[in-house]
Amino acid sequence: MQDKPDKPAGKSLWVQMAEYSELAFLLPATTVVGWLFGALIDRWLHTTWVYLVGLIFGIIAGFIQLIRTVLSSERKP
Amino acid sequence: MVEQLPFTALLNRLFAGPVTALLHALGVHVENPAAPMSNAFAMEVLVFLLLTLFFVIVRSRLSVEKPGGLQHTMELFHEFVVDQSHEIIGHGSEIFTSFLVTLGLFILGCNLIGLVPEFESPTASPVVPLGCALVAFFYYHYHGFRRQGVGKYLLHFAGPMPVLAPLMIPIEIASHLARVLSLTIRLFANMFAGDMVTLVFFSLVPVAVPVLFLGLHVGVSLLQAYIFVLLTMVYLAGAVAEEH
Repeated sequence: MQDKPDKPAGKSLWVQMAEYSELAFLLPATTVVGWLFGALIDRWLHTTWVYLVGLIFGIIAGFIQLIRTVLSSERKP
Repeated sequence: MVEQLPFTALLNRLFAGPVTALLHALGVHVENPAAPMSNAFAMEVLVFLLLTLFFVIVRSRLSVEKPGGLQHTMELFHEFVVDQSHEIIGHGSEIFTSFLVTLGLFILGCNLIGLVPEFESPTASPVVPLGCALVAFFYYHYHGFRRQGVGKYLLHFAGPMPVLAPLMIPIEIASHLARVLSLTIRLFANMFAGDMVTLVFFSLVPVAVPVLFLGLHVGVSLLQAYIFVLLTMVYLAGAVAEEH
């Protein structure tokens, strides 16, 4: 097999579609992950409020990742 | 109790004893010791066996002078993955080809096997997409550590500004774990919905109409297998890229 020298400059439509479809899942997924972490800590420490902190953290993390992803894809060709 | 498919019943009849003993040894509680294997697991085993058989046949017929139809098809599939991974990951992407082709074919096989009567898509059960997503997750992190070294790879979780590191590390961890969830939900939800739509229309109009939805199921199966592999490539590209 021939060794290909460099990465092509542009992204194909399918690659862009897959990357942007990821954005739709990012916010709910990080929210669920944050909630899960909080709920696990609640169960571990026998508390009842950490899940809310986890939930809010997950939402913030989702938004930050969303903005970072969009900004980085704007910079790339 | 969930009804067993014929292949599941066969596997349970043949291997229930050893599988139950193995699960007990691992500390897993088995609800029904006579039938420890689920339909999803049995279908996964079937896809694995079919793929192995398929590649044994392709391997036995390999020819440089007179390549057959199967060889052409597999070469096309291989070339497609090589080109795509080169486009996304760049130089050195060849080492990931075997993993990506295997993952793609396994998911595609799991998606399409549901079209055969008396079989069902194992990807319509959440544990199978979760397993595939976890494999992809550990694989890209492994290559990230391998390519960049433990320290450098972990450092990119801290972000560009050291002051913000305590905030960025949990955010990065959450977003990496969210990838597992998003890969799982996307594949599971699409395959489950495809099965449900076909079933609902089959119960409403049992003639001709379900064929349209079976065609749609084939399209969704191909697209979802492709997107899963494509996103794994995107994650791999992020993990092995030198600059972050």
